[in-house]
Amino acid sequence: MKLEYSERERDLLWLGFVLGPGAKRYEKVLSAFEGDAHAAYEAARRHDFSPACGLKDESLERIYASANERFLNGCFKRLQALDISAATIESPEYPNLLKEIYDPPPVLYYRGALRSEPALPIAVVGSRAPTEYGRKLAHTLTQTLAENGACIVSGLAYGIDCIAALGALAVGENPYPTVAVLGCGADLVYPAGNRDIYERIIARGAVVSEFLPGTKARPAFFPMRNRIISGLSRGVVVVEAAEKSGTLITVDCALEQGRDVFAFPGRITDLKSAGTNALLHDGQAKFTLGAEDVLEEYGGMRTAPTPISPSANALPPEQSAILRLLLEGERSFDELCELTGFSVPLLNSSLTEMEFSGIIKQSPGRVYSSI
Amino acid sequence: MLSKIKSYGLMGMEGFPVMVEVYVSNGLPSYDTVGLPDAAVRESRERVRAAIRNSGLEFPAKRVTVNLAPADLRKEGSMYDLPIAIGLLAATEQIQNDALAQECLFLGELALDGTVRSVSGVLPMVIGAYAQGVRKVVVPLENAKEASLIAGVRVYAAETLKRVVDFLNGAEPLPVVPTCKWDRTKVSYPMDFADIKGQQGAKRAAEIAVAGGHNLLLVGTPGSGKTMLARSIPSILPELTFEEALEITKIHSIAGTLAGSEGMVSERPFRAPHHSASTASLIGGGQRAMPGEISLAHYGVLFLDEFPEFRKDALEALRQPMEDGSVTIARAAVRSTYPADFMLVAAMNPCPCGNYGSRTAPCRCTQQQIARYLGRISGPLLDRIDLHVEMSEVGYDDIASRQAGEPSETVRARVNAARQIQAERYREEGILFNAQLTSRMAMQYCTLDARAEALLRKAFATLKLSARAYTRVLKVARTIADLEGSRIICAHHVGEAVQYRSLESKYWGEIRR
Repeated sequence: MKLEYSERERDLLWLGFVLGPGAKRYEKVLSAFEGDAHAAYEAARRHDFSPACGLKDESLERIYASANERFLNGCFKRLQALDISAATIESPEYPNLLKEIYDPPPVLYYRGALRSEPALPIAVVGSRAPTEYGRKLAHTLTQTLAENGACIVSGLAYGIDCIAALGALAVGENPYPTVAVLGCGADLVYPAGNRDIYERIIARGAVVSEFLPGTKARPAFFPMRNRIISGLSRGVVVVEAAEKSGTLITVDCALEQGRDVFAFPGRITDLKSAGTNALLHDGQAKFTLGAEDVLEEYGGMRTAPTPISPSANALPPEQSAILRLLLEGERSFDELCELTGFSVPLLNSSLTEMEFSGIIKQSPGRVYSSI
Repeated sequence: MLSKIKSYGLMGMEGFPVMVEVYVSNGLPSYDTVGLPDAAVRESRERVRAAIRNSGLEFPAKRVTVNLAPADLRKEGSMYDLPIAIGLLAATEQIQNDALAQECLFLGELALDGTVRSVSGVLPMVIGAYAQGVRKVVVPLENAKEASLIAGVRVYAAETLKRVVDFLNGAEPLPVVPTCKWDRTKVSYPMDFADIKGQQGAKRAAEIAVAGGHNLLLVGTPGSGKTMLARSIPSILPELTFEEALEITKIHSIAGTLAGSEGMVSERPFRAPHHSASTASLIGGGQRAMPGEISLAHYGVLFLDEFPEFRKDALEALRQPMEDGSVTIARAAVRSTYPADFMLVAAMNPCPCGNYGSRTAPCRCTQQQIARYLGRISGPLLDRIDLHVEMSEVGYDDIASRQAGEPSETVRARVNAARQIQAERYREEGILFNAQLTSRMAMQYCTLDARAEALLRKAFATLKLSARAYTRVLKVARTIADLEGSRIICAHHVGEAVQYRSLESKYWGEIRR
């Protein structure tokens, strides 16, 4: 955790503490004092903010009341107690890529270690309730990317976000595998069920938020968070997104910020792939079949690609018959029963053995798919 | 001026003889009922008075005292109307043949016009009375068939009070109901396994569940046929024995749910209470500690559709009866033990909207909603359900499927064979089927071959099974082996058994992200 803050940082942070999140207001106030945050602090002590700041009276009152060392020290003490560090846009650890965007957050609160130049930051975004197809893609993608030194940026939501973070964390040799951007204070975990992943990310990467510690998540905060996700990254990979998905907000941000957008194609009848297919169709995203396509854009692969499917021949006859069917696409138990013509006991025991050998996977709805 | 008439009272499944004493003396006309009567018994005065007058008999304008002995036990219900009326008539010497009146046991409610109405609990009362030496009973016509199940008891069917009086006076005999032979040929189940198209996996699970007496949890999207499968399960249950049927009939007689003319229950009960059911209605209770749904499902199927929608306390209360096969309901005044040896078939959607895991309809639930929904089923309760199975979505092809499924008759033959094997194996343990195995017995009787052992070890590690779940898999594997007639549990038995546990780790183990 960062303990030492320079005078300049303290002034800039004070403004961040009193103004809260949002780049525009901060920018306006700062420019009213010609970029001198200390002058703003002094003016607040004198209760003398110029109308150029465009603040309402009640905001002004709060700011004036907070213009003292006691308030500032209290803030730092609180950050320390919560194990949170703060980076202003001028701090050395503030990510350089993020500075490039139109409205970079003036202050970033973070837990873990923030790096100004992480090696190849790539955002991986997608549905909160992905299909088995999406899970599989997200996992292999992030793992391969992390193996090649990339830093995976995600939003710590359920679904693709989690899978992406876990895929990156699975790569032990990557020193800085993942960064998560939150739509609440950096001390809070939303959704709460992801606490274990949150802790693991802090240990090896960073959890970042532009919101003051203690801020509860609100729907309006997520689009703000999404601009940071894309802002932190060189490219954004969309794994699975429905037609009206929050994921597409991140894509819009990325396009605005001039980042590369990648998307995996899905079946055109799949609702969960409608968003990604539309991106590809409209030429907004690059057609992607795997991590290789992403890495190619940034200098190529370092590791050899892993072989994809196990050969069906080395298995007992009934298992290979099942596998051959599943390689074509996922199947429900009843479909397998009908297509193979096996008895239920035989099918059940074969499926169990195959699951344990890690060749196939069962998902809700009793649907089986090959791995 | 004093008469004594035999009747009977019930306390849970067991009964006690009640002596109805009527004393008519001179004095100001009055009528008192003593001997801990409940409201229904106390109100009998009005019914008795009207019934006697409307039967063309005389109600004495004297001081009447009715005592129901023993005086320290509560008397409930309307079955004392008839014995009180008879006692009153005997005390006023309107009945001449006192000896016959004293030999008989009377049960029945009176209508104001003197008709004898049916009452509940006749079968257990007659059984109890028979054990006490009673050989002649007068019961309402509608309950006659039920009472006539007991060989050695002469059952007189009473239609009206007047005819009973005529019978006692020797004017006209009452019809004697011949002892009812238990007839199980007419058993027909509304649903047959052959009617269920597709769902091979779920049908197989139901077969295993019935063969080993295991409880079953069905998970599936709306319309996947959970209810239909559950309803057809009674058709593959082993046939009732006479003793089982008698016990079921007793419970249903007490609850008053016995269809009038049916007599003995001939098919296994299927009870499907709505999910708004209260704990008392499921477990049994109320002031009179009446049997609940679990007792009414004794030796049959208790089907709980929309399982997580049941009240949490009601579900948790199921745990102890599921373990013991009986339930004791204690109330301030009464304490009754009812048998409750039922097969639980629970059905639920995978999430609140029902479409989680569906490939055709999108699920609109958040992960929290799903977690909360699944969380309503507690671990200990889940642990008592040996088989979990997911129903596949039924497509048009399945519904229009040409090939008919296997008829229940065939499945039941296999179930019977498997039950036979189990009954023989456990003769010395005092249990009947695999689901009743304790973990010690499971270790003793579930012999695994080497490959099965290895597979089970793998399953234990991969699925992160709890020790309890491990025993459950073992028991289910035992049943699968029994269905195949195999003495030893082989790898493919374990392999299949594991499939019926995998749901737990899939849905409950880690709430999926």
